[in-house]
Amino acid sequence: MSWSEIQPLLFQGFWDTLYMVGWSTLIALVGGLPIGVLLVLTDRGGMLHNALVNKVVGAVVNVGRSLPFIILLIALIPFTRFVVGQSVGSTAAVVPLAIGAIPFFARLVETAIREVDRGLVEAVQAMGGGTPTVVFKALLPQALPSLVAGLTTTVIVLIGYSAMAGTVGGGGLGSVAVQYGYQRFETSVMIATVVALIVIVTAVQIIGDAAVRLLASGRGGSASGRGGSTADGGAGKRLARLGRGRTVALAAAVVLPLALIGYGIGQSGGDKQTLKIAASPTPHAEILEYVEKNLAEKEGIDLDIRKFNDYVVPNTATESGEVDANFFQHKPYLDDFNKKNGTHIVPVVDVELEPLGLYSKKVDSLGGLGSGDTVAVPNDSTNEGRALHLLAKHGLIELKPGAGQEATLGDIADKKGLTFKELEAAAVPRALDDVDAAVVNGNYAVDADLNPAKDALAAEKVAGNPYANFLAVKDGDQDDPRIRKLAKLLNSPQVEEFIEKKYKGAIEPAFGHVGS
Amino acid sequence: MITTKDLTKVYRTPGREVTALDGVDLHVGEGEVFGVVGQSGAGKSSLIRCVNLLERPSSGTVTVDGQELTALAGSGKRAGKELRRARARIGMVFQHFNLLSSRTVLGNVELPLEILGHSGHERTRKAHELLELVGLGDHARAHPAQLSGGQKQRVGIARALAGDPKVLLSDEATSALDPETTRSVLQLLRDLKEQLGLTVLLITHEMEVVKAVCDSAALMKSGRITESGTVPELLATPGSELARELFPVGGTPSADDRTVVDVTFHGETTTEPVISKLSRTYNVDISILGAAMDTVAGKQVGRMRIELPGSFDDNVVPIGFLREQGLTVDVADVAPVAAEPQDNAGLVKEGAK
Repeated sequence: MSWSEIQPLLFQGFWDTLYMVGWSTLIALVGGLPIGVLLVLTDRGGMLHNALVNKVVGAVVNVGRSLPFIILLIALIPFTRFVVGQSVGSTAAVVPLAIGAIPFFARLVETAIREVDRGLVEAVQAMGGGTPTVVFKALLPQALPSLVAGLTTTVIVLIGYSAMAGTVGGGGLGSVAVQYGYQRFETSVMIATVVALIVIVTAVQIIGDAAVRLLASGRGGSASGRGGSTADGGAGKRLARLGRGRTVALAAAVVLPLALIGYGIGQSGGDKQTLKIAASPTPHAEILEYVEKNLAEKEGIDLDIRKFNDYVVPNTATESGEVDANFFQHKPYLDDFNKKNGTHIVPVVDVELEPLGLYSKKVDSLGGLGSGDTVAVPNDSTNEGRALHLLAKHGLIELKPGAGQEATLGDIADKKGLTFKELEAAAVPRALDDVDAAVVNGNYAVDADLNPAKDALAAEKVAGNPYANFLAVKDGDQDDPRIRKLAKLLNSPQVEEFIEKKYKGAIEPAFGHVGS
Repeated sequence: MITTKDLTKVYRTPGREVTALDGVDLHVGEGEVFGVVGQSGAGKSSLIRCVNLLERPSSGTVTVDGQELTALAGSGKRAGKELRRARARIGMVFQHFNLLSSRTVLGNVELPLEILGHSGHERTRKAHELLELVGLGDHARAHPAQLSGGQKQRVGIARALAGDPKVLLSDEATSALDPETTRSVLQLLRDLKEQLGLTVLLITHEMEVVKAVCDSAALMKSGRITESGTVPELLATPGSELARELFPVGGTPSADDRTVVDVTFHGETTTEPVISKLSRTYNVDISILGAAMDTVAGKQVGRMRIELPGSFDDNVVPIGFLREQGLTVDVADVAPVAAEPQDNAGLVKEGAK
């Protein structure tokens, strides 16, 4: 990709990241600070010693700290929807980010406050100060440099977490790196985003360190080296200057997140007539983008394309009405999803097939594969079944009678001496050098410069294939005029030409009504 | 001004009980500087913290300026409003100063005034006044880290005085300071006491502190007060351990058949030529083994170890003479060749032989 293509991606990703991180930092600050203080106060020997409260809060914090973020992200979807009214998008990503960061920051607050000399607490109590006085006049001001350092760490962790926001369509630089760099082999984009992330993280760290230094100055840190040279005359002036600098730093610390939030508010809220569609980045979003740019205007519809790396959220978001339609899946997957999740998503129109293909860098033909060879297959239930059926069809293995569409390695009756490696679908093409052959999804094959038509030892055929990807909506929305128009456009000759030209057989048009 | 009655403090940890205070009765009169002396672990720290109820006594009462603080405390762990108000009227100075490094010197002195709810202008005015009082008027804008130990403690004292206290508690206030700084800080305390009519309760492990500022003193051992009284009283108490600690005199007798006597002079007796009188009256040869003179609470006090020929029985009459002169007399049980120096040799009450 050229810089002119990368730049808008970076820019949007940058703002999405700042928006998500800015908000979630603010919430983590507001939520984590009191929890951290509470943990110290209720601990043994604390002013509000309460073993029960301390243990319960501590346990909750530990649970929050131990959950992998991606799990938190998915588990919190209902809560997120309840709080912000939607479960996809940058704003929705803020909720799990903030909830993930609160316990993290709370522990840092706890540590920072424990470092405050107990003698100071005693001194304030001896002056007649109560618990609030101790907290606000002694503990927090004394711990301020450590608290700011902790907040800096929290911001950086949040920048890291926000890379996973792509799962819920949150965007952001990390998500751009995953979508383009990892899944689409756009190395230039990946490098650009990673560099941007490094710059941001470094900048945050530098600002944080500077704020800590500014706050700690005059307090006489052991290694400041200034104390000795303090002359009586100049000291006052220098301190006055430091005082101003401190005010500026604090003002910046307050204003910056607010500015980001302001930006975010400006961003949200779109045109009600817009059709929101959740799609996988390749090729679904690309096809939709083609439609949006070249065909939609004439039909009077406006598309808002949301890219998802994940296969669950687009369906739940469609079910809840947060998006109007989605375009990423095939029939077996949808049927399974509806059954397991009680959702009511229905296909509208088939668009394309990404033929699964068997590729190899070691052998030239199917006949070259045999006993002792290793074959990589996708590890998710539908793709793995689909891969095994492809292998069985070409006689490389034999499946047990009645093995369904979700066949697993356990359903193989005769491996014919082959060894299987199960990998995440996107990772399979990367493993080609390490295995004798691999079954790769069409979209990932395209991204990895493999062509099903030319390079595959064996590939799925369009005719009668249940794995064609379709536009899907919540049951009842099929007759929405905007959906009908979109369906028509997706099955138009222009789209057929676009697919054939762009993907050169790697992805094939598979128009028509589903369920035939 | 400060009275504790049967004060007990027991620290309970699972499987262990430590009695820090074991029935302490203490009385500090108004306008007095009262020193509690003892080794670390004797319970001094618990005692001073029980006086303003930073530590809750397990039993017993504390009364400060006619107000029974133990009654104000209530049963909860947290200090109620009334107790906090009472604490604000009791200044406290700490060994490690306990100044907020996040605030300037002025800010530190203003803190108790903020707690008392004074207005901003009033706070600054008063804090400046207090800093002038402790001789730090031109350091108001400095941060504590830029001050020397002695200056920090002066800030600590200014802060302790912010609530116009009648009572000042000093927790080893000079223990972290060098001898010279210690003297100047003690001098400041003494001056402030005179100027403001403060009552000061201080705890220390340094006899020098008691010698320099205290009107009264008490000795604490394993959570109990073993001796207590005004310094002259203590010096006049035969066998007083505190008196001996205050004025250690050394010297061992020259031969077996000798009686060693420690004599303490105070008040008018210091100017009397008692020893030469004794020598002339009873025609005895007196050797002086050791002597010390010092000023305690502004009064000259001296202590001398002398040697009389013959056993104790031979010297009953001369010793009686010394006592008639108004001196405190202790017969020291010191072995002649004892390698043990000075006051480590135990004192026995006179006539114990």
